Amino acid sequence: MTQSNRTLLSAGAMLLSSTLAVFAQQAPAPGKTANPNPFNGNEQAIMDGRDIFNRSCTVCHGKDGTEGDRGPALATPGRRYLRTSDSEIFEAIRNGIPGTQMPRAGLNETDAWKVATYLHGLRGTAIDAPAAGNIEHGEQVFWDKGGCGACHMLHGKGGLVGPDLSNIAALRKVNSIRDALTKAQHSVSTDGGRHDSALAPLSSYLSLRVTTRDGRTITGVLRNQDSFTLQMLGTDNVLHVFNRDELREVVYEPKSLMPTDYDQRLTPDEFQDLLAFLSRQGHVAPAPRPRAEQVIQ
Amino acid sequence: MNHRIPGIAALLFLASTCAAQVTTQDLVKPDPKNWLSYSGSYDSQRHTALKQIDISNVASLGPKWIFHVPGSQTLEGVPVVINDIMYVPQASGVIALDARSGRLIWQYQRVPGSRGHNRGLAVYGNKVFTATSDAYLVALDTRNGGVIWESKLAGQAVKYQGAAPLLVNGKVIIGVDSAVGGTVDAYDAETGKHVWGWHSIPKPGEKGIETWGGDSWKLAGAPTWLSGSYDPELNLLYWGTGQPDPDFDGDGRPGDNLFGDCMVALDPDTGKLKWYFQFTPHDVHDWDAVEMPVLIDASFKGQPRKLLLQANRNGYYYILDRTNGKFLQGTQFVKKMTWSSGLTEDGRPVVIPGSAPTVQGNKVCPSTAGATNWPSPAYSPDTRYFYVIVQEGCGLNFKASDNFKPEHLSGYSDSGTSYTESTEEQERWQLFVRALDVSTGKTVWDYEQIGSHHYGPGLLSTAGGVLFAGEQQGAFTALDAKTGKPLWHFNTGDLITASPIAYSAQGNEYVAIMSGTNLLAFGLPEHQ
Repeated sequence: MTQSNRTLLSAGAMLLSSTLAVFAQQAPAPGKTANPNPFNGNEQAIMDGRDIFNRSCTVCHGKDGTEGDRGPALATPGRRYLRTSDSEIFEAIRNGIPGTQMPRAGLNETDAWKVATYLHGLRGTAIDAPAAGNIEHGEQVFWDKGGCGACHMLHGKGGLVGPDLSNIAALRKVNSIRDALTKAQHSVSTDGGRHDSALAPLSSYLSLRVTTRDGRTITGVLRNQDSFTLQMLGTDNVLHVFNRDELREVVYEPKSLMPTDYDQRLTPDEFQDLLAFLSRQGHVAPAPRPRAEQVIQ
Repeated sequence: MNHRIPGIAALLFLASTCAAQVTTQDLVKPDPKNWLSYSGSYDSQRHTALKQIDISNVASLGPKWIFHVPGSQTLEGVPVVINDIMYVPQASGVIALDARSGRLIWQYQRVPGSRGHNRGLAVYGNKVFTATSDAYLVALDTRNGGVIWESKLAGQAVKYQGAAPLLVNGKVIIGVDSAVGGTVDAYDAETGKHVWGWHSIPKPGEKGIETWGGDSWKLAGAPTWLSGSYDPELNLLYWGTGQPDPDFDGDGRPGDNLFGDCMVALDPDTGKLKWYFQFTPHDVHDWDAVEMPVLIDASFKGQPRKLLLQANRNGYYYILDRTNGKFLQGTQFVKKMTWSSGLTEDGRPVVIPGSAPTVQGNKVCPSTAGATNWPSPAYSPDTRYFYVIVQEGCGLNFKASDNFKPEHLSGYSDSGTSYTESTEEQERWQLFVRALDVSTGKTVWDYEQIGSHHYGPGLLSTAGGVLFAGEQQGAFTALDAKTGKPLWHFNTGDLITASPIAYSAQGNEYVAIMSGTNLLAFGLPEHQ
C-alpha cells in the first residue's frame, strides 16, 4: 500500500469509526441490592422524568442533562459519578448535596423517582430508556422504506455488510443511534483518554477493492488489516484473507456506506418510529453469576 | 421517496442466498484442510490426513502467530476452521480470526465479562453454534458474527454451559447439566427449535429407575458435560455421562444409579436410547465417563468389528461393539489401581471392599482427577495405537458424614464432599502420554511429562507420523507416534489444558493449540 493510500485510509477510518459498529460490550455494574425505585424501567416514567427534569433542573445541568452553567453534565460517557444508584440520585434530588451548590430540588417523592428513572436511562443504553413511538411501524420502516435490512442483520434476517443490530439497544444510547442515522461525523461513546486494553474488532465498515497479483478483483468491506495482512468480507458474501504481498492494489472508498440523512428521507413520524423500534432491539445483559454456582468438572 | 442503497450493499444483499459453507457431507467426510468440530471428525480419532509436517521436518516447526483471547481464563477449548477462517470458543462468546495470520475479523460476546470454560463449537451451513454461560444456545453467521437465533436451553436450573455442541443431521446436539440431571438435547440448526431431549436420570416408570433405591433418583447427577461422537452409517450418536450425585457418598442412593457413568447410544433423529454401557456402577469416586469415545472399524479377535474405544477416568481402557454396546474387552491402563481387582465377563468392575470414601479420608488409585479426563485421546490408523494422556497417582477421598441425609446437600457439599491429592511422594500425580496397542490395551510406549501433574492437554495424531501433545507446564511438544521419542518442543509460557488441531491454508499446514489465555498456531518455515 502506498503512503497516500495509508493517509486516505486513516482519514476514512476516522470518519467511519463512528458507524454503528462496536461489538465490544461493557458489563453494566450489577446493583448491590434490589433497586427500590418504583418506576425502574417504566417508559412513561422515563418520559415524565424527562419533562420534569427539563422543567426543573436545566439551569444548572442543561437540557437533557447535557451541560449547564453551575452543575455537571449528568450522563457524560467516561465520567465517574459519585452517585450512581437510583436511590443515591433520588436522595440528592430530595435533600441536595451538602457542601455543593446542589440544593433540594423541591420535587415530591414521585417526581424525584421519575427524574431518577430518567437519569438512569440517560446513563444506561437505549434499552434502559427507549425512544417513544410506534414500534410496529418502526419495524416496517426498518425493512421497507428505510432499507436498513439491506446491510444490517436483525435476529438472523438481513444483510451482512453492516453490523448486526440484534443487540444494538443494549450497546448504544438513543442519542447515539439517532446520530448514526443523521450525522456523517458522529461520535461513538468512548472514554477519550482510555488506553486500549485488548485488540478489538474494526469498528468501521470501509468499502474497498483489492486486486490480487494473479489478477482477481474483489470488492467488499474491510474487516481488519495490518502492515502484512488484510481481511475483508467480499460482495460474494465470503470472508477473504490475504497477505499483503499477494495483493497488487488496494483501493479504499473514502465514504461510508451508511446513509446519514434518515431525518430527511423519512418523515418525522417514520424517523421517530424507527428510533423507537431500534431502541428496543436487544437484551439486558444478565448480572454475572456468583462463581460458586458454576460447577466446573 | 426514493433512496439510494449503496452499490456494494445491494450486491451483498442479492448474494445472500449463496451456497452454504458446511454441509452434512462435509461433516461426514471432512476436508483435512478444515477442522469442523470439537474432535475434528465424527469418529473423534483426532487424526489428521495432513502430512506436510512429518517426523523428518517437525524439528524446524515454529510459531506463525499468537492471538490473546481478551478477558479469558485458562482456555480449554478447541477452535474450528472453515476455509481459512478460524472460529475460537470463549466463555459466552466466539471470535473469528484469519487462520493464516491470526488477525481478528469479528467478535461476539453474549454475556460481557463472563468467565469459565467453553470447550467448543459446532458449524453447519453459514452458522457457528455456541452455548453460553447464561444457558442459551446461539447461532451466529460465520461471516459477520450476527446473531441468527438464540434459544434458551431446555430444562430447569441449568448449572453450567461449557460443552461443545455436535452437529448431526441438521441438528445441534448438546449436553446440558441441570439440577435434575444431565440431558442431551437436539435443536434444529435452521430455527433453534428444540427437537428432542434425552435425560440421563430416569423418572418413575422409566427404564433404569429400578437402579435407584427409593426416591434417590431425585439426587440426580449424571451430567453430559463434554461432547460426543457419531457413526453416520449406523446413525447412532455416542455420548458419555458423568457420575450420579452426590459424588463421594453413595449411601443415600443404593443401586447402580443408571445412567450415571455410562456410554449411551442415541438415535440422533429422535433422542431414543438404543443401548448403554455402564463403566462404574454406583460410582462414589466422581469418575465421570464423559471422556471422548473414539470410533474405529477394525479386526477384533479375527472378526471385523465396529468398535468404540474409551480410556475411562476409572483406569480401564474399554473396547465396546458400537452396534449394540456389547463389552468386548477391558484393560487396566494405569499402573496403580486400588479400587477394583478386574472386570467381569460383561465388563462390570470387581470392586475391592473398603475402597469407598470415608469421613476420615480413604486412599484411592487412580485419583478422582482421573486416570485420564476430558483432554482428548487420539488414534492413528497408521500405527494402530490409541494415545491417551494418563494421570498416575492416588488421592484421598472424603465423604461428609456416615449418616447421609439429602437435606444436608447444599453448595459444595452437593458433592458429598471432596478429594485431595495423596500426600505420599510416590503417589503424587504425574502425567504421561501413553500409547496403547489398540487391540490388547497394553502399553507400547510411555512418555513422562516431567513436572506436569494435573489434567493436561489433549492429543493430535498426524499422517506425518507425529503425535502432538502439549505439556500442562506449557511446552507444546511433538512426539514420534511410533516410539514416543520427543522431536520438537516450544515453551508457550502458560498452562496447556486444551487439545490441539491441524488445518491447512494456502497449502501450508498449521497446528494450533490454546495455552493459558492465548491461541498459538505453528507451521514450517516458508521456504523449506
